[in-house]
Amino acid sequence: MILRLGGLAVDGLSAVLLVTLAVVLVAVLVFAAGERYGVRFYALMLLFAAAMAVTVTATDLLMLLMGWEVMGAMSYALIGYAWPDAGRVRSADVAFLTTRAADMGLYAAAGFALAGAHSLRLDALAQADVPWRDLIAAGIVVSALGKSAQLPFSFWLARAMAGPSPVSALLHSATMVAAGAYLLMRVHPLLAATGWADTLVAWAGAVTALVLGAVALAQQDLKQLLAASTCAQIGFMVLGAGAGSVGGATAHLVAHAAVKSLLFLCAGAWLTALGTERLDDLRGAARRHRLVGAAFGVGALALAGVPPLSLWVTKDEVLRGLPAGLLAVALAASVLSAAYAAKALFAVFRPAEGAALGVPVLGQAPLVVLAFAAAVLGVLGLPAVADAWRDMLGMPHEGGPDLWVLVLSGALAVLTAGAVGAARRIPAPGWAAEWLYLERAAGAVVVRPAFAAARALARFDDRVVDGAVRGAARGGRWAAGLAGRRVEIRVDGVTALVARAARALAGLARRPQTGQVHLYYAQAAVVLAVLVVVAVLAG
Amino acid sequence: MNENPADLAPEMCVLLAAVLGLVNGLFLPRTRQWRVAVICAAGLIAGLAAAGVAATRADLAVFDAFQVDAITHVTRITVMAATLAVLALAAGPVRGHPRESEHYVLILLSALGAIVLGASSDLLVLVAAYLLASIPAYALAGFGKDAHGTEAALKYYLMGALLGVFMLAGVTVLFGVGRGTSYAALRAGLADAPPAAVAAGVVALLAGLLFKAGAVPGHFWVPDVTEGAPPAVAAFVTTVPKIGAFAALYRFGAEALPPGAAGWPALVAVVAAATMTLGNLAAFGQDNVRRLLAYSTVSQAGYLLVPVAMAGRTGLAEPALLYYLAAYAVTNAGAFAVVLAAGRDDLAGYAGLMRRSPLHGLSLVICLLGFIDTPPTAVFVGKVLMFGAALDGRYLWLAAVAAVNTVASVFYYLRWLVPTFRRPDGASRPARGATAVAVAAALLSVALGIGAGVALTF
Repeated sequence: MILRLGGLAVDGLSAVLLVTLAVVLVAVLVFAAGERYGVRFYALMLLFAAAMAVTVTATDLLMLLMGWEVMGAMSYALIGYAWPDAGRVRSADVAFLTTRAADMGLYAAAGFALAGAHSLRLDALAQADVPWRDLIAAGIVVSALGKSAQLPFSFWLARAMAGPSPVSALLHSATMVAAGAYLLMRVHPLLAATGWADTLVAWAGAVTALVLGAVALAQQDLKQLLAASTCAQIGFMVLGAGAGSVGGATAHLVAHAAVKSLLFLCAGAWLTALGTERLDDLRGAARRHRLVGAAFGVGALALAGVPPLSLWVTKDEVLRGLPAGLLAVALAASVLSAAYAAKALFAVFRPAEGAALGVPVLGQAPLVVLAFAAAVLGVLGLPAVADAWRDMLGMPHEGGPDLWVLVLSGALAVLTAGAVGAARRIPAPGWAAEWLYLERAAGAVVVRPAFAAARALARFDDRVVDGAVRGAARGGRWAAGLAGRRVEIRVDGVTALVARAARALAGLARRPQTGQVHLYYAQAAVVLAVLVVVAVLAG
Repeated sequence: MNENPADLAPEMCVLLAAVLGLVNGLFLPRTRQWRVAVICAAGLIAGLAAAGVAATRADLAVFDAFQVDAITHVTRITVMAATLAVLALAAGPVRGHPRESEHYVLILLSALGAIVLGASSDLLVLVAAYLLASIPAYALAGFGKDAHGTEAALKYYLMGALLGVFMLAGVTVLFGVGRGTSYAALRAGLADAPPAAVAAGVVALLAGLLFKAGAVPGHFWVPDVTEGAPPAVAAFVTTVPKIGAFAALYRFGAEALPPGAAGWPALVAVVAAATMTLGNLAAFGQDNVRRLLAYSTVSQAGYLLVPVAMAGRTGLAEPALLYYLAAYAVTNAGAFAVVLAAGRDDLAGYAGLMRRSPLHGLSLVICLLGFIDTPPTAVFVGKVLMFGAALDGRYLWLAAVAAVNTVASVFYYLRWLVPTFRRPDGASRPARGATAVAVAAALLSVALGIGAGVALTF
């Protein structure tokens, strides 16, 4: 069942994402209505969501690129929403430039697609000729990993926290980061056809899930923790897209969208009420407003993968039938996700002094809805529902989650959460707290060389190109001076010589006119004699 | 043999006007002598009308010695028109002069000589015409009875006498070896005559005609007479006799000489090159405008000799000569008219002429730019035809010399022109008759240049 309209079409995968997007968008906008944002905010948010809608319904690379680009531009505008604050604008710059740099891959892929498949249609890419197929896959993988903040692009998501909480809630759940995962699911046939891209994508997702889980565990700031956890959870989806569990990855995406938007909205509510995001300062915040606290609790437990909540099921669906190595890494990553979720959970639930918080009604309603969704979306994993789900997505051959993995991951999650609760302090190594120094690395590897190259080119332009122009001008003037000195004298000299000669001849011409008739007679006689000679000779 | 005097109606008109003027002048009081000018002008106008009518008829010969053909038509009309202009120029200066009527009559008689000079096809008539054209002009040159005028008249006369004697000797030699004086007889008779004798005879005959034309070697009188004689007379002797002389030269070369006799093209080409070069170079340093104009007429005579040299070699020669002659006459009369109107002979006196009297300034500019053949003046057309004739007659070197000389001549004409655009240093009271002639000549020069196509097809 596919609806088509021009370059857009809605099939199962697009439908799931569109519904998710719509629900999250409504929830987020209702929450934002309680915080009194201006017209600009809503306009940008709606454009942002519309661009995501175009992205997930595009059937060819041209429409996809349009949506993709507008989404990137809107993310820039939204992250830097509070533009008077230079730091936020700088964060927006970093986020935007990072994703833009990765987007070059998609442009390259479009070019390669024209060259190799003679078509921009997404479903035709898998039939492209070698080596164009591999090049297309490489371009798409790079841009999708960039958009989804997978390694090594993850650091921009930390910077994206500069935006308002509703923006984070939307950007981390149903748009932007989800777009990369969606694209990888969409072009899974192409990845599988190359024979290397799917493995690469799977490992990239697994490693991101593991490493960014560690990063999240080390964070002391709730929003940064949630951001790193987003990277990690998207890693599971990317892993699913690479390993061929598209149904599981999609379910994980939907459940994660509910969970993460819920958590961010709760964090936003506390930020508005308490003015802080630091975990130490949020101590006991959950107890100071029951509803927000309860909602956060549900979200955090779901994030931890505690049975029977949603992410437990969907994650294990992703982990179905993985090779041993990948499975080990993924399980370790799920342990870490349980650990950081528990860290956040205990941080806000530890008893502390404090008056009750005031949260607007508009801010509370979405939390209830999202918390409910976060709790029950696990039904997607029930066999009957799951089969219908996979049929809708067009992936009927994918099976459900393995039972032993379900049991193992649920037990590990509960145990880890308990261990985190019992632990005095959680180790926070510097490399993890600092997001693996990725931004510095990017600065060292890409930004500074680029600036250095730009400076070098500017110098080249100033000195060599401009210098050549100036040199030509100087040379021309020098040559002109030379010509003026050497040639002009001669030309002038010739002119002067002609003039002098004419003057001398004119002087001579007046000599016969003596005014004396006898001389006239003599001259006339002589000339006539000469003329006679001329006449005789010529005759 | 055609002996119908009516075919000579224009000449008769001029002669009758001269005689009537002389008779009237005997009986008129001194203050009324201007009537003689009116009579002479009427005669000229009648002659012009008769010539215009005659020009529409077929060619013919009268008395076996007087050709009525295109050359004669142009000579008649040009001479009479130029003489009319000279009468207008002279009327003011000689008003109330004791011999005012003689002045007019002498001008008319000399003009009649010039017409006969251009029309005659017999050596004896040619000599008679030479004398008729010259002797009144000698008298006119000395008309002012001042030192300069007397010197000029004497030099004029002496040069004319010597070269006239040469001319008579040449006629004698040619008659001796050619067994005839009419051009048709000569053409037949000179073919088997001894070349050296023919060459000597032709050169001697040329001496007289070149004197009238003001070309080397008979050019010595031109600057002295032009400077010394009264200005109207200067305008006359540098314009009118030349017209007849060039017509006579062309006719002699085309009708009397068998092809190639006496080395005609080369001989005349040498004379032409020498004349134009000498005239231009000598004009360079002149500070007296009359002397400058005199040398300019010498150089123009050089250009006019180019189609004469090409006589009988190319069909372009005759229209080139005739057109150039008419254009030269108009332009020269205009330039002299401006000199008369301005009343100054020194170059410095022309500073600021353009602001002082724009009419004279513009006329002078048109005439002098005409001399350096600027389109669309008449001389430009004549000179183009002249170059065409030289190239057509395969005398490339002559065309080159003429071109170089034309470029060189720009210098001295501009030496005169440029100061006219400066600030004036004083007021002037121009003569009215001269102003009219100057403006008419300038307009006619442009008209002849623009209407060249019409005139040439006619």
